[in-house]
Amino acid sequence: MKENESKVNKINKVGIVSCSGEDLPEGTISRLATLEVLLKKKPFDTTTICLPLFIAGGEGDRLFAKNNPTITVDGCEKLCAKKATEKYSGKVACSINVKDFINDDIKICNKRNLNGKEKEIVSNVADAISKRVDDILKES
Amino acid sequence: MNNKVMNDKKVLVIPCSGIGKPIGTVSRETAYKIVENLRKEKCQTICLALLTSGDKETIDKVKKNYCITIDGCAKHCAKKNVEACNKTPDKSYMILKFAAANPDKKPEGIIDIGNGGRKLVNTIASQIAKDIDKLTKNKVEVSVNERK
Repeated sequence: MKENESKVNKINKVGIVSCSGEDLPEGTISRLATLEVLLKKKPFDTTTICLPLFIAGGEGDRLFAKNNPTITVDGCEKLCAKKATEKYSGKVACSINVKDFINDDIKICNKRNLNGKEKEIVSNVADAISKRVDDILKES
Repeated sequence: MNNKVMNDKKVLVIPCSGIGKPIGTVSRETAYKIVENLRKEKCQTICLALLTSGDKETIDKVKKNYCITIDGCAKHCAKKNVEACNKTPDKSYMILKFAAANPDKKPEGIIDIGNGGRKLVNTIASQIAKDIDKLTKNKVEVSVNERK
């Protein structure tokens, strides 16, 4: 019985919710880093939903973050992903802001066709998300 | 004078954020194609997530300008998030419909939509750009007539 309960309570997937950030280069970094984790680094340990589904979707979508520990990935200090996830679903396990990975001397300018520096930031953010996924699964 | 006021209004082209499907990427790429290339002078985009999180400044911007939504799928996230601000989009599009009408232009992946996806983007963006011209022209004419 205890073994079964333990299986039921064990977290299988971590939800990663990216800001949509269409109007900012950092939004593209946020989305690409999230996709790198979802598709390449942790495909079996992670899942996502489109952030605007919190409003457009049904109850199932809004229950998403209640049933999964979530990591939000935002492109700017407005922290839309974090705020919307906490407003419609529940407290997030971890919040990552792409801005924290960008040095003051680096200029981020591309929303499409990222340059080498921007791709490097995508990779660094993806590594950070991936590490937090491991931490959360380990803690569970 | 009235023409000037109307021309000051921008057209906000708002794609769905569609992170999990190629059609979401097509939606976003279409918006960029319009805003950065085809109708740079008339159009802007906004982060849809700002509407979802209830950002007042962005809601105000949506209410004061023309709005066009481009959704990837039938969940219509972009359209519904705009409607949640008590604004009906001036035009709404769904990528799936265009994809069904252009089976030879198939997006390949989420990160890279491939040549098929890029052709689909070009087709959709050209169509929407023409609609934007009609929309802005009509609104100016209607407004001038209303004043008379």
